[in-house]
Amino acid sequence: MMNNNNIFIELKNIRKIFPGVVALENVDFDVRYGEVHALVGENGAGKSTLIKILGGAYQLDGGEIIIEGKPVTIGSTSMAQHLKIAVIYQEFNLVPDLSVAENIFIGREPKIGKSFINWRKINNDAAEILKKLEIDINPRKFISDLSVAEKQMVEIAKSLSMDARLIVMDEPTATLTEKEVVKLFSIIKELKAKGVSIIYISHRLDEAFELADRITVLRDGRKIETKKISETNQNEIVSLMVGKIVKDYFVGKKEEINEKEIVMEVKNYNIADSIYDLNFKLYKGEILGFAGVLGSGIHHLLRSIYGVSQKTSGEVYFEGKKVEINSPSEAINLGIGFVTEDRKGEGLLNDMSVIQNLSIIIIKTLTFFKGMFIRQKDEFAVFDNMAKELNIKYANINQRIIYLSGGNQQKVIIGRTLVSECKVLILLEPTRGIDVGAKAEIHKIMIELANKGISIIMASSELPELVNLTDRCIVLYKGKFAAEFNRENMNEEELVAAEIGKLSYAVN
Amino acid sequence: MVKFLKLYEKIGIFILIVLASIFLAIVSPNFRNLDTILGIIMQGSYGAIIAFGMTYAITSGGLDLSVEAVMGLTSVIIAMLIPTMGFVGAILIAITASCFVGLINGLLITKMDVNPFITTLAMQAILRGASLLITGGRQIVISQKEFMSIGATELFHIPTPIVYMVVLFIIFYIILNMTTFGRHVAATGSNEQAAKMSGLNVSLIKIIVYILVAFSASIVGVIRTSQTLIGIPTMAPGFTLNVLTIAILGGTSLAGGKGNLIGTLFAGIFISMIYYGLNLLYVQIFYQMLAVGITLLFALFIDGLRNRYLNVARIKGIRV
Repeated sequence: MMNNNNIFIELKNIRKIFPGVVALENVDFDVRYGEVHALVGENGAGKSTLIKILGGAYQLDGGEIIIEGKPVTIGSTSMAQHLKIAVIYQEFNLVPDLSVAENIFIGREPKIGKSFINWRKINNDAAEILKKLEIDINPRKFISDLSVAEKQMVEIAKSLSMDARLIVMDEPTATLTEKEVVKLFSIIKELKAKGVSIIYISHRLDEAFELADRITVLRDGRKIETKKISETNQNEIVSLMVGKIVKDYFVGKKEEINEKEIVMEVKNYNIADSIYDLNFKLYKGEILGFAGVLGSGIHHLLRSIYGVSQKTSGEVYFEGKKVEINSPSEAINLGIGFVTEDRKGEGLLNDMSVIQNLSIIIIKTLTFFKGMFIRQKDEFAVFDNMAKELNIKYANINQRIIYLSGGNQQKVIIGRTLVSECKVLILLEPTRGIDVGAKAEIHKIMIELANKGISIIMASSELPELVNLTDRCIVLYKGKFAAEFNRENMNEEELVAAEIGKLSYAVN
Repeated sequence: MVKFLKLYEKIGIFILIVLASIFLAIVSPNFRNLDTILGIIMQGSYGAIIAFGMTYAITSGGLDLSVEAVMGLTSVIIAMLIPTMGFVGAILIAITASCFVGLINGLLITKMDVNPFITTLAMQAILRGASLLITGGRQIVISQKEFMSIGATELFHIPTPIVYMVVLFIIFYIILNMTTFGRHVAATGSNEQAAKMSGLNVSLIKIIVYILVAFSASIVGVIRTSQTLIGIPTMAPGFTLNVLTIAILGGTSLAGGKGNLIGTLFAGIFISMIYYGLNLLYVQIFYQMLAVGITLLFALFIDGLRNRYLNVARIKGIRV
């Protein structure tokens, strides 16, 4: 399989530290000419950090990068370009209001004289590159009019136009249809034949096994193994990815639920391009986990249930009654709470105080004179109560929320839904971006709430969290039901396998 | 620097007023008598009243540039209707029409999702044009002298505009700081998406805000028309800028979410002091425009500094 053993780029002892976290430690990694090297690992394993270093977005804290035998520094994105390294990030680096051709040659436009763009040449050159790749896109089209797959192709064309010797692709297939994936694969194989080196990052192991020559597993910022594809199999890779479960912050199991009383039921749920015919039940006092990698549609599903976005079809039954939830306020009135994964973007009321952030949902009930005037005493009582219950640490009640730590911010946001006395609590990535101690506290809070009879739906990309906390866990793959686990049969290996489409079964 | 900005946020406008008072007291013996001071406050009340409304708009994350045209519209409607309906009916219809303008502004901004800056600027042009069309470009003299009782009289020796300002201040202050609606306005301006996720009807909140702005502008339109007894379609050209300056100088952050009505009140008086001071110096009226522009830039500068430094402080973990 390996035609050429010459190494194009070599990374030695790579080390990258963020405040409080070691993101990469002692990572060795190399890519040969014309090789597809797959890079896999769970969320937080260090893949993105590694490719950002290659792309010049991050600087090394230790180690060295050697290209064709010469040590180099990649101090900026333009230096990466100069070294013929192209990184195609998940969120593309394209300017939506410029044409395909302009994007391909951005910063390197062929000119007439010194200032005028040679439009004929730029369009012809772009057309030629696209033709070489057998991509059928008009170079005069605007990026904003392209589909995700087409944008991806433009990114690839862009890397080729700069004669990239190494192309890094981060989850390139996450949002593509199967037909588009086939197309992408044939392009990758062509590039490979031309001697271009490729680092291929994906959650989908079958893709890695189809394309790659070698595969490297990262876990917790360390390199675990590099294997030849021909000498390994998917099961081995999965177990390498999971490794030993870190249990140091594990806070104990919640009580089993004995009587199974259905609180909410979702039937034949469809959302355009993201969820297909999904059914699930939620029982009183249970923690139901949702797992899936990028493109699983879980966030779309849960946001739609809360009324933030619309479903295409399907039914939701809440406490036995069929309900239509078209806005968050309707969900709140039913007793559904929601904690977003994007705390800064849609959770925090940035300029407002801690107490105001906590009370915003129920403020109209803490009033006198027909709900008009806020009764500050009541507001304080509610806050004080919740602050003690959730152990929220703050300097004073008028402190602005943005000055709290991530963990305390998260507690305020969770408290905000709890004071509305919700019966169902939807949590997206509840422990993202908070430290280990606060994480354990959030977990403890979740268990206590469930023991009190609140039903919790938790979407998480952290498997240990799902395995330790949930009563049941549903895995979605590309918007479809893939597997369901219960306490007895839940384990990380199979969860990972199901997340990447390698396992499909249900219990009960 | 952070400390200075925090301090400025709390008492900056008072310091400016004290400094201006000292200056005026030195250069002008007149300034030391009560009537002059009341005169200055009255002159400041017009801008301040509209700036109360503007403070709401900015707090909700928006802006209203149509206020001076709403004044003109109010003035014209009153002048046209007063002969047939008397001044009470004319005033009520003028204010209702203005609130309707605010409703249209709010609907365009929320339902059509147009930028408030451009929407209200267009509304400004539309209202100006419509007011001029109605009157054929002329000013209309009002003959009902009793209409003057609205804005050109005194209550216990206090000019009525000051009374209106104080009453409206109290109402606007209570609504913004003590009611659920006020809380919702701040939440909307602080993070609209988060407000929506918390179940707030953000569109309705914004529509009410734009009605409030138009209402406050209309009140000043009534007062000014009552004082001059002329319906002026192009009333107070350029006044919108004064109003914005007052609101921002008062400490209401352009980033939204934080309205300071006490600051607005005193900033209105401060701007009036600047005008008075410039008059004392017998400078051309053009300098007043210059001064307002500079004051607005200064206020924006402080606002920008505050946002930047508070951000840095947050990132560095400094407790503020």
